Amino acid sequence: MVIDLLSYSLIPMFSSLALPFFAKKNIRIAIILANVALLSGFINISYLIINSITKPDIIPIIDPLTVFLIFTIYTVALAISFFSTYYGIEKEANPISYYSLILLSVSAMTSLVMVRDLFSLYLFVEILAVCSFALITSDIKSNSIEAAIKYFFLTFPASILIILGISLVLASQKALDFEIISVSTNIMTMIGLSFVIIGFLIKSGVVPFHFWTLDVYQGASSPISAYLAGIITKIGGIYAIIKISIIMKYYPVETISSILLFTSILTILIGAFGAIAQKDMKRMLAYSSISQMGYILAGVSTFSSTGIIAAVFHLFNHATFKTVLFLNSACIEKQTGTTNMTELKGLEKKMPITSWTSIIASMSTAGIPPLSGFWSKILVIIALWQVGYIKSAIIAIIASIITLGYFVLMQRKVFFGKLAEKLTEIKEVESPLLLPVIIMSLMIILAGIYVTYIYSYLEKIM
Amino acid sequence: MILYVLIYLVIIVGVVGAVISKKLLNSAIMLAIASIGISLLLFGYSAPWAAVFELSVCAGLITVLFISAVSLVKNEEDTTKEKQIKYSIFPLIMSAVVILSSIFIPEYFEKLSSYANTTQNGNELKIGDIIWSIRGIDVIAQIMLLAGGVFAIKHIFSYVKKQEE
Repeated sequence: MVIDLLSYSLIPMFSSLALPFFAKKNIRIAIILANVALLSGFINISYLIINSITKPDIIPIIDPLTVFLIFTIYTVALAISFFSTYYGIEKEANPISYYSLILLSVSAMTSLVMVRDLFSLYLFVEILAVCSFALITSDIKSNSIEAAIKYFFLTFPASILIILGISLVLASQKALDFEIISVSTNIMTMIGLSFVIIGFLIKSGVVPFHFWTLDVYQGASSPISAYLAGIITKIGGIYAIIKISIIMKYYPVETISSILLFTSILTILIGAFGAIAQKDMKRMLAYSSISQMGYILAGVSTFSSTGIIAAVFHLFNHATFKTVLFLNSACIEKQTGTTNMTELKGLEKKMPITSWTSIIASMSTAGIPPLSGFWSKILVIIALWQVGYIKSAIIAIIASIITLGYFVLMQRKVFFGKLAEKLTEIKEVESPLLLPVIIMSLMIILAGIYVTYIYSYLEKIM
Repeated sequence: MILYVLIYLVIIVGVVGAVISKKLLNSAIMLAIASIGISLLLFGYSAPWAAVFELSVCAGLITVLFISAVSLVKNEEDTTKEKQIKYSIFPLIMSAVVILSSIFIPEYFEKLSSYANTTQNGNELKIGDIIWSIRGIDVIAQIMLLAGGVFAIKHIFSYVKKQEE
């Protein structure tokens, strides 16, 4: 474990434990404590990361990948926590345990990216699963408990596969340390790591294990859908695959690489085609999220430096633009009471900020320059091209055009055209709800403009 | 040795009691007793972290979860009476298997433990050391797991309560 960064895990953990005691009589204290804990961590890690980008010689970074991911985790968690405060989550569920679970999940995720052995990795993934399971049930109106049970039961076989894989690695290597596993290659370890990868593929919700994600994203309350799609499934699933692919740098990985590539292309296509046919905005975003997961996996499947950098960068971009899109859908749901796209029309006139932030995030997802999504997608495609997966690179480009297509359709249906009659009384949401969305949209634009700095930073992770 | 036999007996009594008990509450308590026995065994076999996990999660958290669930379904339980005695045959068979295994299997365990011995940087290590001693962040993980479980239960129960309202 990276001891220097331990405070990023401990502070939210202790804050979550303190919440029930301090906020017993006044819920506002819980809200303030949770937001302040996350904000302080966010400011701190931003300072660290900006300094290491602008003054790389003066302030060397201990572990660039870990720091970058902690920054991503804090960014999304703070946005969700702040958004939930004004979204009226206290009417839906138990607010104290809601914020405690958010803080605890942040703590589990930061610990997860800090650990240096397989068993600890598994342990924190399970803690994250417990927190997510409870958070999914936050929406009192919909039947979110069914979604939560689905999540739990479908990710349970994944845990068995991971444990099986870990035991094979342990039997063959007599160690679980990443450093030791990465140096001594052996067939039994490879089989074990393959089981671990399959387990995490299920947890990530890639095709053909994607069915649970659709119901869960649609069934959970909107801020939690954003949290799950934005960061939890990425850190609790795809990050582990990225980490293992870094470990397996010296392994003969041709077979695993081609299987992962096939899965990723299937994920990209099924996600993209599935999104076109959807009428519900949240379900469409869920399909889009699956498709983007395919891009991250495509980068990983190359097992090359460029591929891994592209995967990590796309993970960050996906966290920002998908959070914005899900939070936009939450704003729309709050004001109109629905996310069914057939009932919505012309909202741009009534909700201009929601509309334009949604356009920025959609265009970034589709890979329109100069937004951040363009650079990470182009890096994935370059990585695929470099290792000779030319057909896959072309499919990735075509799928990106499909992505643009369904997002343009969504914008046209929801935001443009003549305003639907029953929506004439609708107003833009309160400004505190727009703040996280605006800040994250700015991050999408800035990450696109200053991509050279980010790339030079990410080069250090390999 | 007598201590271990006693612990084994406690576990068997706990497990059998959990299955044949007619009241769900008693079953949960018997299961907790069995978990405490297993935890003591793990302490005895020098796996303290595993023991602490067993004690806190299985004997503590799971029992709380069961007792809370029992309190929710208590009304139904009073009206339906099951013939539970036939299920007691399974723990009895299991107990017989455990007792026979403890007589015949030890030599295989000897072989397994010699396989588990390994060296790292010249130090002799066992699988237990690799899993429990070298990592050393389990305290954090355990606090998180316990807190996560408690908050999750609280959250889901308030969900159920609000939906009932």
